[in-house]
Amino acid sequence: MDTLLIATFEILSFGAIVVLVVLGLGIIASMMGIFNFAQGEFVLLGAYVTYLMHSVGLPVPLGMLAAPVAVGTLGFVLEKLVVRRFYAAPIVAMLGTYALGLIIREAVRGLTGGLYLSVPEPISGSITIGSLHFAAWRGVIVIITLLVMAASHALLAYTSFGLRVRASLENPQLARASGISTGMIYSVTFAFGAALAGLAGALIVPVFSLFADLGIRFLIQGFVAVMVGGVGSFAGPVAGAGVIGTFSAWLPWLMSPVIADVLVFVLAIIFIKFRPQGLVSGRGVNR
Amino acid sequence: MSSTGTGTQPPPHVIEAARSPVMASAIAGRTKVLPILELALLIAASIAPLVLRDYITVYATRVLILCLFALSFDLVWGYAGILSLGQSLFFGTAGYGVALLSRDFGVASIFAVLPAGTLIGFVAALLLAGFLLLGRHPSSVVFVSLGTMTGAYAADRLARGSHYLGGQNGIPSIPPMTIGSHELSEGPGFYYLVLAILVLIYLLSRFLLRSQFGLALAGLRENEQRIAFFGYNVQHLKAIIFAISGAIAGASGSLYAFHEGFVWTNMLGVVMSTQVVLYVLFGSGTLIGAVIGTAIVEGLSFWLSDNYRDIWPIILGVLLLLVILFRPLGLISLVLGERERVGHFGPSLKEKRNAAP
Repeated sequence: MDTLLIATFEILSFGAIVVLVVLGLGIIASMMGIFNFAQGEFVLLGAYVTYLMHSVGLPVPLGMLAAPVAVGTLGFVLEKLVVRRFYAAPIVAMLGTYALGLIIREAVRGLTGGLYLSVPEPISGSITIGSLHFAAWRGVIVIITLLVMAASHALLAYTSFGLRVRASLENPQLARASGISTGMIYSVTFAFGAALAGLAGALIVPVFSLFADLGIRFLIQGFVAVMVGGVGSFAGPVAGAGVIGTFSAWLPWLMSPVIADVLVFVLAIIFIKFRPQGLVSGRGVNR
Repeated sequence: MSSTGTGTQPPPHVIEAARSPVMASAIAGRTKVLPILELALLIAASIAPLVLRDYITVYATRVLILCLFALSFDLVWGYAGILSLGQSLFFGTAGYGVALLSRDFGVASIFAVLPAGTLIGFVAALLLAGFLLLGRHPSSVVFVSLGTMTGAYAADRLARGSHYLGGQNGIPSIPPMTIGSHELSEGPGFYYLVLAILVLIYLLSRFLLRSQFGLALAGLRENEQRIAFFGYNVQHLKAIIFAISGAIAGASGSLYAFHEGFVWTNMLGVVMSTQVVLYVLFGSGTLIGAVIGTAIVEGLSFWLSDNYRDIWPIILGVLLLLVILFRPLGLISLVLGERERVGHFGPSLKEKRNAAP
């Protein structure tokens, strides 16, 4: 019973990390119809910003607050300069964002000197409930993820900004005709997606430590999750992230971690092959 | 020639020139850039070992092997529009395959390992294509690139975790390849062998792409739906070219394994896949562009890696991005017109049309 509870907590906390990464990816894919291959590197960049703030002596939580802002700003600028040229050509967009990711990854590799760098957990120790011990920081990740999810959903479903975003998603021409600046909406949405990735990177860096190829794994995981969940809706990517996160955290309990890691992806690819529309095939944001 | 009415002389690469058949044929007749380029490169490559120092010849051999690899990626991305982010899967699998062949069975004859590597690449690509591309639902481009990328990542992870494959260290000290009783070690001999293979495969690919099949592929890249409406089975076309490219990648992977003398996990994984994407930035959609791109990227890396080791990959990334943004056809489009890039099909027909207006 105790092992089960701890396993559940592990699965929950890992699933939360995947959800954070995927939320940004899913929003960008649903909105703009492009798959952002630089998303993993946005995660990496968030982790790097946190490390940078820590290394100059600032407290880690401050770095974690700065990371989404910095990455979001960069995302905004990149959207204005580069990504917006790709909306008409989704295939070229993949190569273009891949190049963007490459630049960020190699820049971070140069800056870190190719080392594995660690950042301490801002809240260390564990929470004890009865005879069970939970890593406190992982608990914080779960709580923050839940808050971010709720806030994102509220933003999209209940605010006038969210209404505009949904309008641009459903029918860009009509949205433009109604006086919504879809270009601006796209920029902000891309920045928002990037910021979410930055936040994810900042939160996970104490758990995974910082290295240049951190993003690649999350990129594949994120993509697989988005496609398992289904592009186009808010619930789809979140559901996909839940499934992938659960399997990624659960399978290593049954078999060797290497096999488990690969098996999750292979199973997911097979699933997508036979159900291309994903778990949630609807479009839009349910209220 | 005066039929266009514009006083200015358009540069040869301007696509508009192709609008008037008279102009196009005139320009195409005047500036056949592609064969000249190919011939010049072949001559340069043939005399290179005579003037280069030995250690550079060894490096040049590696570049030629990578050219072969780039060619395989160019076939799928530049021609069929399949973004295979896991091309290293075939390259690495074949490399590991021949390494195991030589380690466990003592086979090092070129007549055994090269076909074996090619076959491994072909079968691996065929299996992956069969799964990713064929089926009741046509697969989206994103799905295919994600699937190939996952394949490469999975292979990398499995090789890293496998004791049989040497784990992180890979398989070291592969004995040199043999032709009969002659041992083929690094140097001019190996160089000319690779050059011969490269030229052969280049010519085969060129022949393939200038056939009806190649035209259908080019159409696939430009407008997949229209090709489907014409009655082609798009999925089969894609699977065929994917398997062919896998075979070429396999051949280059097995050559690479024997040339370097060891195989390691980077050959399988995302690192190598990224590299091959960079190679074709100088001209996807032309075979020669992939070769030139590889030579330039690797040459510059060799030259710059002493002083600018850290920022060189960043420069490459920026270059790739700029090319994608401003020259989607690759840098080669600066010297090569659109018409020549796709190739001529049925030139005699065109002559007739011009003769009898």
